[in-house]
Amino acid sequence: MIDIELTLNGRPRRLAVDPRESLVDALRERARLTGAHVGCRTASCGACTVELDGNTVKSCCVLAAEADGRAVRTVENGAEPGELDDVQVAFAEAQGMQCGYCTPGMVVSVRNLLDRIADPDDDEITRGLAGNLCRCTGYVNILKAVRLVRDRRLGRV
Amino acid sequence: MYIGERVEGRNNRLVVAGAGTYVDDVRPEGCLVLAILRSPHPHARIRRIDVTAAEGRDDVELVLTGESLLAAGIAIPPSGSYANFTPRMTVKHPLAVGKVRYVGEPVAAVVAHDLVGARAALDALMVDYEVLPSVGNALLALEPGAPRVEDEWPDNVMVEYPFEKGDPAAVLGATEPSRIRRGTLVCNRIASTPLEGRGLVADYDPHRRYLTCWASTQSPHILRTLLAGALDLPDSSIRVIQPNVGGAFGGKIPMFPEDIVTAHAAIVLKRPVKWIEQRHEYLPAGGHSRDVRCDYEVAFAADGRITALTTELIADIGAQSTFLGWLMAIVSAGCIPGSYKVDDVRVRLRCVVSNRGPWQAYRGYGKEVSAFFLERILDEVADAVGRPRDEVRERNFLTPDVFPYEQPSGWITDSGDYSGTLAKVKDLIGWEGFAARKAAARAGGRRLGIGIGHELTPEGSSRPDSLLSGTDSATVKMSPHGDVTVLTGVTSPGTGNETGIAQIVADCLGASLDRVRVVQGDTELCPHGNGNYSSRSLTFGGSSAHLAALVVHDKIRRVGASMLDVAPGEVRLDGHRVIAPSGAEVGFGAVAATIYRSPHARHMEGVEPGLEVTRTFKMDNVHHQPEKDGRYNQYPTWSFSTAACIVEVDEETGVVRIEKFALVHDSGMVVNPLLAEAQLHGAITQGIGASLYEEIRYDDAGLPQNLTLREYTLPGMRESVDIVLGHQSTPSPFTMMGMKGVGESGISAPAPAIASAIEDALSDLGVRLTEVPFTPARVWAAIQEAR
Ligand code: FES
Ligand code: FES
Repeated sequence: MIDIELTLNGRPRRLAVDPRESLVDALRERARLTGAHVGCRTASCGACTVELDGNTVKSCCVLAAEADGRAVRTVENGAEPGELDDVQVAFAEAQGMQCGYCTPGMVVSVRNLLDRIADPDDDEITRGLAGNLCRCTGYVNILKAVRLVRDRRLGRV
Repeated sequence: MYIGERVEGRNNRLVVAGAGTYVDDVRPEGCLVLAILRSPHPHARIRRIDVTAAEGRDDVELVLTGESLLAAGIAIPPSGSYANFTPRMTVKHPLAVGKVRYVGEPVAAVVAHDLVGARAALDALMVDYEVLPSVGNALLALEPGAPRVEDEWPDNVMVEYPFEKGDPAAVLGATEPSRIRRGTLVCNRIASTPLEGRGLVADYDPHRRYLTCWASTQSPHILRTLLAGALDLPDSSIRVIQPNVGGAFGGKIPMFPEDIVTAHAAIVLKRPVKWIEQRHEYLPAGGHSRDVRCDYEVAFAADGRITALTTELIADIGAQSTFLGWLMAIVSAGCIPGSYKVDDVRVRLRCVVSNRGPWQAYRGYGKEVSAFFLERILDEVADAVGRPRDEVRERNFLTPDVFPYEQPSGWITDSGDYSGTLAKVKDLIGWEGFAARKAAARAGGRRLGIGIGHELTPEGSSRPDSLLSGTDSATVKMSPHGDVTVLTGVTSPGTGNETGIAQIVADCLGASLDRVRVVQGDTELCPHGNGNYSSRSLTFGGSSAHLAALVVHDKIRRVGASMLDVAPGEVRLDGHRVIAPSGAEVGFGAVAATIYRSPHARHMEGVEPGLEVTRTFKMDNVHHQPEKDGRYNQYPTWSFSTAACIVEVDEETGVVRIEKFALVHDSGMVVNPLLAEAQLHGAITQGIGASLYEEIRYDDAGLPQNLTLREYTLPGMRESVDIVLGHQSTPSPFTMMGMKGVGESGISAPAPAIASAIEDALSDLGVRLTEVPFTPARVWAAIQEAR
């Protein structure tokens, strides 16, 4: 086991991890943040998406040890249980999910997209979420959810 | 009224927070991790398994093999009976005994302290295999002298299912050759691929002799009964809890070999054990669907009316030894000719075992195969007689006046208006006027095409002599404060039936929706039910909850009316209140309080005490007694849809892009349009995936070619399509409120619609597409062949 120190959802955190262990396992098993999910372990599905130093990564393909000294932000984002941000509210209202297994990864990707591009068009939204697979929704309502939160932030609705 | 409202899914705010509890999030204290060693060979005899090195590892608690399970008395004998055919069966072993039949078959299991340790222990297991000649597909398996997948069978045919109506041979014989077409169509293998894999956590309490399982399953009660049988425990000693499920689509209908192995390990170790499927395990071994070939012969009149149809179906069901998925092929056969009136028909299906992976249910459940074959044949007939494809469908559709209609298979279709959905979808897609668009695009060097595809979706499967029967149960109870809890035997894999059921119960009671809670997926809390499959959750679960709610409603009405000093017939129940004609009212809280607190007082005279009611709903138009009434029908409701799409084909590369996709569906009365549409979006996108991107491939020896999602490519957002939906409602005369299932609608029509559109885009070349999926390589090859 090795010790790593990271900023997790804005707070300093020390974790003892197996050097063979991926970041998603460390987050889920050691930090007990189970919002990030595992769908493939080959960087294909995006269910494990988190932010590492402000960039989205597939945390199944990042070693926990690589997060040492860096900042990780997950879907939980340090929020009080029961509190949702505007991205999450838009997903809920637009029915942008069914089983919800992909949803935390989607939310992380959307937060990151809107941090980078305040007014993304459909093409930019599609590129921003191209790494996140959803098997339930056909992406129709996910697109609606992203448009909704974008327009709310820009005061259009 | 809440029915018909676009109410947001009840789990949305939980799962969007990342706070859902999926099976891998369940962690009892001291939980161990189980991992499975799987066969690397399509066909091999197991000479010896050396477990000493694995057992010697510090963090390994248990190693299990086929022999050790056999010694513990665990083996699954054949069960169930079938109405119209007799399959060959074998004893099933959760871990292989004697030999392996497919790549990915479970061979041994290890239990260690964590996943990293369990994987290391798998590497330490030594299996000595004698590799056997294998058959990588059904055609090879049918060759004389082919290696046999099941040693005790004379050949590789598991079941043969023929049926006939009229005399197709005579009609074909009397038809002039120009009015006959023959050919072969192929539906290749796919996998449902929910984003969350399968998984189970088992915890055994030796003091109470009680096993608790959390499972990513579609059917907790069925899993409990099957596990009890496999482990020789009383049903009452097992509790199955379904946590949040990360998608299922049929892929999690119990029971799986890994369920038995994990539960057994927990009992042996007297500690919690968790098994979570990894994607590389799922893709070869989690269960596939389709993989059916159809040799057909069709005769038709000058106007495109089909006069005779014969189909020879060969289903490659892989190694059948673990799952029940092979019944999908029976449904493919039984749904021919489906929505079309053909008086002279012969269908013969052979289910053939091979050294491919086994089948497991997937949305569509075989109906998508019949839809693809039938629609391709309809298009071919239209081309042969030189009539438009929509007109030839109209010519052959069953008309609304013929229902209930007995299919040649004997199944009885409840109702339908197939021309209606076709007419509506033509409007949505812009059918008229497309020819001009196509010509203009062509002049600009682009190839656009338009196509249609129709699907018939019998739902609510009710098999005889099976736990997957035609009933389900619900309990509706009201507390002393007037709050309502509904417990159902159906479950939700995330599609939102809990929301729809709450809407139904709230309307029936006159309750406020926010005071109705729905609890599902726990065998100790919920009444017996079959869970979710075959689009049954509202037709069965909603109806049973409605029946139970009616009894509660009646009691609230009587007691409330007495409290208001009027007759029961005079009050109405609305907004969680009982309201008299004068406007005087009493809240449900006060009425419930009276029922609980004052059972001996005036308002309760002649009223049975208590506010907890369980009712079981049974479908009326399922028929299982052919000896009595000559009828056999396992499908009570028959939804249908027609799709239309416009595609652009790049003739240099064979790449197909969908420009517009429209679908008009008819599933009777819709309880929650928001959630019904969301399911249709998902089903259509899965149908598009199976048409263009997804294919489970094997080589001739039976080695799988897709072990990750990089080779089995699911549609992502870049492949998503702007889907235009239309609705029609032909209520079922047999269900409560005319509901029909919706969960499977939309998955079958895309493949034939897309094929039809691609052919239209290439119409001047005369390209024919006979094999789905239409990958760039296949489309390109078809173009070269036509040239
Ligand atoms: S689990 Fe990381 S991308 Fe799928
Ligand atoms: S909501 Fe189920 S995978 Fe996206």
